[in-house]
Amino acid sequence: MRSLSCIVALSFLAQFAGCADTSRSRSLDDPKVTGRVMAEQVCSNCHGQRGLSPSENFPNLAAQQADYIDGELRSLRDKHRHDPAGAVYMWGIARQLTDAQIAQLAAYYAAQPAPAASPPPLDLSPAGRQLFMEGAADRGVLACAGCHGQKGEGNGSIPRLADQHRAYLLRQLTVLRLGPDNRPMGTVMSPVAHKLSDSDMRALADYISSM
Amino acid sequence: MPDLPAKCSNARRLMVAGLLLVSLGGWQSPASAIPVFNRQTGQNCQACHAGGQFPELTPYGRMFKLTGYTIGSRTEIPLAMMAVASRSSVRNTSKSDDPSADFSKNDKLIFAGASVFAGGRITDNFGAFLQYTYDPYASQDASGKYHGHAAADNMDLRLVDHFVGASHDVVVGASVNNNPSVSDPWNTAAAWMQYVPVPSPSSSQFIDGATPYPGFGTGGNTSGLTAYAFIDQTLYLEAGAYRSTRGVLAFMKLGQPTSALTRVQGNAPYLRAAWNLAWGASSLMIGASTMSSRVYDDPASTGDPTTLHRFRDSSIDAQYQWLLDPHALTLQAVATRQFHRYPDALAGQLPAFVDAQGNPLAPSSPSDVLRLLRVKATYTWRATYGGGFSYFDLSGTTNSLNQTSGYDPLTGTITSSPAAAAPSTRVNGNVTGNPRTAGETLEAYWLPLQNLRIGAQYTLYQRYNGSARNYDGFGRSAADNDSLFVYAWFSY
Repeated sequence: MRSLSCIVALSFLAQFAGCADTSRSRSLDDPKVTGRVMAEQVCSNCHGQRGLSPSENFPNLAAQQADYIDGELRSLRDKHRHDPAGAVYMWGIARQLTDAQIAQLAAYYAAQPAPAASPPPLDLSPAGRQLFMEGAADRGVLACAGCHGQKGEGNGSIPRLADQHRAYLLRQLTVLRLGPDNRPMGTVMSPVAHKLSDSDMRALADYISSM
Repeated sequence: MPDLPAKCSNARRLMVAGLLLVSLGGWQSPASAIPVFNRQTGQNCQACHAGGQFPELTPYGRMFKLTGYTIGSRTEIPLAMMAVASRSSVRNTSKSDDPSADFSKNDKLIFAGASVFAGGRITDNFGAFLQYTYDPYASQDASGKYHGHAAADNMDLRLVDHFVGASHDVVVGASVNNNPSVSDPWNTAAAWMQYVPVPSPSSSQFIDGATPYPGFGTGGNTSGLTAYAFIDQTLYLEAGAYRSTRGVLAFMKLGQPTSALTRVQGNAPYLRAAWNLAWGASSLMIGASTMSSRVYDDPASTGDPTTLHRFRDSSIDAQYQWLLDPHALTLQAVATRQFHRYPDALAGQLPAFVDAQGNPLAPSSPSDVLRLLRVKATYTWRATYGGGFSYFDLSGTTNSLNQTSGYDPLTGTITSSPAAAAPSTRVNGNVTGNPRTAGETLEAYWLPLQNLRIGAQYTLYQRYNGSARNYDGFGRSAADNDSLFVYAWFSY
């Protein structure tokens, strides 16, 4: 026990002396820490290693569009996003990220493989499938696939939706329906979300989460 | 822990100096309006605490702790505080010789205590959680006047690393701490399951925090070194040992009077294993822990091994969380068993009491076994409104050694008169020698701010000290102890 105490004390001293490197750092204010290290050491605690979140409370980021992640992280860092979850979980984490770190994080997650998925069965949420693929012309609801892609793969700053958690999708649709202030990067979605009923949202979330 | 060998003396001085520098650094900046870990990560309490109800941790909060409190940016002022105001009300205060003493501060709003915290991220791999607590009712003089006192509370210093590869995710660390299981990330651990600080005045002796909770024979203010690993966020293993606090770690018992210390002979081994699984909005942990210790009967006298109490503690615990904003649901269950062998001088002794016919009672047993089952369910909505229900059932062997009430051999009556040959204890006496205490607690709470929790707990007893009725020999029933505890718990 005495020798162990010595070892621990000396180890602590080594830490005080600044012997640690940044390859496994959990610092959020050190520009030398790369996006990859941040993703592995910090972001993974909610978003999962390699961007596959085990919790429905947090979005999957694997294979997400880099431009979308980049824009959202900047919006969270600068506190332009006001949705509750964004403020509670992400304002603090993102507050000291540099532009370079944001770009690295975006590139890291965009490069992660999406989970193996098969096309959703045709009989799963027909209403959701119709809304996603064709929209609802009578109500002025545009087809999701028009911007997000037939497979929900996204494009540039338009997010990938495929493989996303159902609960997360539902929450974000609700946030977008509340108005553009909550998610400025999603301003274009706000009028669309306004035209969706609760049952529309549930049907869409059922369909998209199975893509 | 014994003094470090001479070759470490310089290291010891440097370490202490370093700790002081870390604690005192950066006074020039104004404090933020949130506690130290929030300032460090910039996140809301809700990120680490389930539904914002501190201290219960979310999966992210557990990783924050296991990675040594090192996520974020080192704060310039690594300090925080908390304070509790409360009001305790015991259902029946009439069955007492001196209600003002047996139920001191009953129905009165009091400042129950406050803590200062220091710590958080110190380096990339080293972090700390240090709590120092002030109790305004720590002692009472002969005139009944209370005196406050401050002393070391829970403390935990960690050295950690987190290895991530294509096929593995392993957190490894070492913790120096002063309370078995304070290093544990789940809130079914003995050091964390009981959460609202318990005020010292006797009106709080029956509130939920004073009901049976999991614990170890070796309690706080010891010093322990444990090593742990969390593998793929699935398997958690921790092993270490605790012993009497002294030497370089004396700050972990700072302010504690000798009578309050736990003095351990040698090392008390501690083992913990847990299996963790997360899916959907759920996380589940099933675990077990064990500890074996030898504790001196008198903390001021540690030379005689015949005065040792021997404890073997073991427990199994489980925690399920369903966290999906705005909902936070938690279910907890713990079952513990404690074997306690008494010092030889306490075994085989005839109690001072006699039975109703004047016959001697059975001699005291050399050992006891205690079993505790505790379950709890809580739900919080929007990190603002919540409630909970918990059930506790402590049972164990009957032993005349634990009898604090009984028939006086001279008068043949049960009397609390100090002049009696065998005076009995009113209110919290035990006339059976059996520990059975069982009941429930209902709780409702409101978090108007993320750092303020206002709550009310009502605790009902079905059994107390072995009986439903007349447990103290003076006609007091378990239900007479039902208590309402209202509190406001603020952190800054």
